[in-house]
This record gives sequence, C-alpha cells and structure tokens, in this order.
Amino acid sequence: MFGLIGHSTSFEAARLKAMELGFDHIADGDLDVWCSAPPQLVEHVEVTSPVGITIEGAYIDSCFVPEMLSRFKTARRKVLNAMELAQKKGINITALGGFTSIIFENFNLLQHQNVRSTTLQWQRFTTGNTHTAWVICRQVENNAPSLGIDLSKAKVAVVGATGDIGSAVCRWLQARTKVGELLLVARQQQPLLDLQQELGDSRILSLEEALPEADVVVWVASMPRTLEIDQASLKKPCLMIDGGYPKNLNSKVAGGGIHVLKGGIVEFCRDIGWSMMAIAEMDRPQRQMFACFAEAMLLEFERCHTNFSWGRNNITLEKMDFIGAASVRHGFSTLNLQSNLQATAA
Amino acid sequence: MTTLNAPEATVMEAQDALPDFTTAEYKDAYSRINAIVIEGEQEAHDNYISLGTLIPDQAEELKRLARMEMKHMKGFTSCGRNLGVEADMVFAKTFFEPLHTNFQAALKEGKVVTCLLIQALLIEAFAISAYHIYIPVADPFARKITEGVVKDEYTHLNYGQEWLKANFEASKDELFEANKTNLPLIRSMLEDVASDAAVLHMEKEDLIEDFLIAYQEALGEIGFTSRDIARMAAAALAV
Repeated sequence: MFGLIGHSTSFEAARLKAMELGFDHIADGDLDVWCSAPPQLVEHVEVTSPVGITIEGAYIDSCFVPEMLSRFKTARRKVLNAMELAQKKGINITALGGFTSIIFENFNLLQHQNVRSTTLQWQRFTTGNTHTAWVICRQVENNAPSLGIDLSKAKVAVVGATGDIGSAVCRWLQARTKVGELLLVARQQQPLLDLQQELGDSRILSLEEALPEADVVVWVASMPRTLEIDQASLKKPCLMIDGGYPKNLNSKVAGGGIHVLKGGIVEFCRDIGWSMMAIAEMDRPQRQMFACFAEAMLLEFERCHTNFSWGRNNITLEKMDFIGAASVRHGFSTLNLQSNLQATAA
Repeated sequence: MTTLNAPEATVMEAQDALPDFTTAEYKDAYSRINAIVIEGEQEAHDNYISLGTLIPDQAEELKRLARMEMKHMKGFTSCGRNLGVEADMVFAKTFFEPLHTNFQAALKEGKVVTCLLIQALLIEAFAISAYHIYIPVADPFARKITEGVVKDEYTHLNYGQEWLKANFEASKDELFEANKTNLPLIRSMLEDVASDAAVLHMEKEDLIEDFLIAYQEALGEIGFTSRDIARMAAAALAV
C-alpha cells in the first residue's frame, strides 16, 4: 500500500472540506481546535497502471494548515503524528506532500524518530523530490520548444538552485539536455559556488540580474509575498515553471508573452476515484496530482519500498532515470502548457 | 520549495529544554499533577477490582491489572517524595469526582461496557498520552518510573479494547452513549490541568492531540469506522 500525507491549502479550505465530509464539530472549531486535531486517514483508493498492476493507497490528512507554520511545535507534531499513523496502518511507502516535507527538512525532524511508542522507520517515507525534479526537467524540455524557445541556445535560470530539487534540476539539465546556459540563483553563496564547481559551465547571478536574461525560469525557491517582478524587463517569450509550494507565480507575472506552468504536476492516464486531490486545487483533480505523491505510487507499482528521496542533495541522475522510466511506464504524463490552455478555455 | 525561518526554529527548539525542578512554582504545580497521577492509579486499581465483580470469569486477570496500578501508584508517590513535594490529594479527588461518579453509577447498573469505556479506554488513553508527553520533560528519577509505567498501561488499554472488540455489536450503542457522556469530562479535566501542566513544560495542545490519537486508535481496534470515530472524538475538541 502507498500513502499520501497532505493538508489543505488554508484554514478556510480545511473547514469547508471537513464540513463536506460531515465532521461538523471540527469544521466549526477555531485554529486552536485544529491544532489539537489528530491526523485522519480520510480515504482509500485503488489505482491500476496501464501495465495491469493494481495497487492500493490511502490519503492521510495531517490536519496541518499553512496558518500553523508560525507555531513550530504544532507543525512538527502534525507531521510526526501523520507519519506515525501511516506507519501504524502498515503503509509501505508514503509521500510527504505540500508543506510536510518542508517542515520535516527545515525543522530537522530526523532528530525525532521516536513518536510515543513508535520508532519511525524512515524507509517507509519519501519526499518525492526525485520525481518532482524529473517532472520539472521534462516540463522544461517539452514546453520551451512549443513557445519557440530553442533550448540549445536558451538561458535557463534556476531560482533555488542549491535546494534538493533545484540542484537535481541543474544536474539533469546540464547532463541530459543541451541547454544554452544555466543561470544559478540562490541565497547562500557557498553552496552556490560548490554547485557551480560541480556543474562546470554555469553562471551565478542575483535574481534581478538573472530574470531579464532568462528564456526559461525554473522556480523552486520560496517566493516572498512582497516580491515584485518587473514584467517589462523579462524576455518574451519566457517560460516560467512554478515548481515552488504554494504555487503563486501565476498571479504575479502571467500574460503578455510570459507563460507560467505549474511545475511538478503530473496527470494519470485515467480517473482515480478519490476526492482529496480537490483540496490541492488541481484543474483536473481526478487525474492530476503533485509529482511527489505520484512518486509513492510509482515506488509501490515497482515494489520499491525504500525512502527513495530522502535528505538533501542525494538525488542522482540514475535515480531520476529510474523514476522517470517508471512514471512513463505506469501512465503518468507531465502537465504542459497546451493542456493548461485547454483547461482555461474549457 | 518554501524555506522556513531557521533562526526562529532554533529559538523555539530551546523551549524543549527541561524545566527547573527546584523552583517553588514547579513544586506547586507538581503537587497537583503528582496527586492527579496518584489518585488516577488508585482509581484505576479500584475500578479494575470492581470490574471483576461484573465479569467474574475475568476477575483474576482484572486483579492482576489492579495490582499493576497499585505498583504504579507507589512509584509515582516516590516521584513526589523525591522532589520534596506533598501531593495535593484533596485537589485530585475533586478532579476525578465527575468521572468517579459516572463509573460508580454504571457499576451499580451493571453496565460493563460503560465501565470499560471509562476506565480501560478513556482513563488509560488519558494516562498514556500524558505520560508520553511528561517523559521528555520529567526529572531523571520520575522519567525512569514513568517509562516503566507507560509500557504497562498499553496492556491495560489493550485489555479493554479486546473485550469490547469481542463484544462489539452488542456494545456499540452503549459505547456511543457512554462516549457522549464521558468524553466531555476528559476534555474539561484536560482544561483543568492545563496551566499546571504548562509549568511542567507539557502543552495542552499536545495533551489533547495525543489523547485523541490513543483514544481513536482504541476505537478503531474495537471496530468503529473512521467516520464514527471522528464523530465520537469531536466531542473532545469542541469546548
């Protein structure tokens, strides 16, 4: 069985969902009530891949909402409790979705392996970052040409280049595609210098310097709400892959030759009978999902029960090859601009 | 990928540090918390003995559980002594009064299911969650004692679970009813203890969530669906 640990995009959305599911008492509660609400296994699903393998899965809502981010202990507890529930339910491989993997990484939850009487078995969990990185790379390769951008001449800026996903994207683009030039953007200098040395041909730039030069921008960093992007200074056409979480780039820059694509999203080849992906605000919630969730499915399809994506900077090209091949074999395709446009038109 | 504010996380992490066990404030709060634990174990002992009269074929097993509770009570009494704290037993008696009354009423009416829900599910889940949260912030002596106790308490929770699971269909309606009446009492007990627990670095939010996790898990083992469980547990969240 595979598992997905997710959460609502906001407190308000969480209350609406709880109401819809008939949990009125919780829905009516204030944020303090939600802070004390235990994780819930909300639904079971069955998924059959085109090669005929059927797997079972479960969606666990951690009852975390982004409004809890400032409450460090609450956020930590929500993630650990959801992981404990997944393990106790005997789930082989569970993806940490949305903010949960970010909390795990940034709040150093590796130090909290014991949750009450349970010792968390890390091999049962994956951040899903390998698949996310592979999907973002494929989104660059698939969509740049459709906008008339010749990747072999293009400058591709990776914002958040030194992160787990960002560095994997850089490695892949450098090794497996012929991008004209990689522009590396990140806040910390030393990791940037290390990455540049590893990659060879690439340039370190500030965000302000990189944006006007870039034909393609891959965002895998946090974006401050106050960030203003001078649209006039951008190249046209420009492909922007919004690979961060939450996805808020569209409202900032889309239009006038700037094409924003939700990054790290995949679509399964047939409808999945679940209701929970609607809370992730997917355009086609029966088929679309975060690539990190799909990674748990892929690992279950492949009977590869291991913490495939774990820690920082452990994503290798070989792992991306493996998960990418599995992704194609089991009926996933990457979200691209055309289907976005179709969805908008519909 | 969003990055959270690391320095803030560091500051918050520091709050996990142990409290100063020697302050007057700590000892004052401990006198009530310690009393609750001692009284709780005493009640548990008495309740298991009483349950033996309702389930005579299980009387021996229940006596065994009761003996363990007595051992726990002695352990916790020594924890107070170790810190030079006198347990406020008057407070603890009042604290348990509503639940005690409900248990005694059910006992009189021969309601095994209600008695098991109160003692073997609610009180045990309450104890397990509180002990788990206490262990990391306890003084070294109490930590050792509590770690031993918590292992036993799981077997007690398990006892009630197994009995109710075996008699699930016949017990279901009474369990719904007993939950409705008694779960809100646990919630107010958690409220009553919150400020003292905070002095011991145990947070109300943690106590409630961990209690609900243990309680929901027990209800699941007994045979309730997740929807039933969420509905039943909601009574503990609504203040």
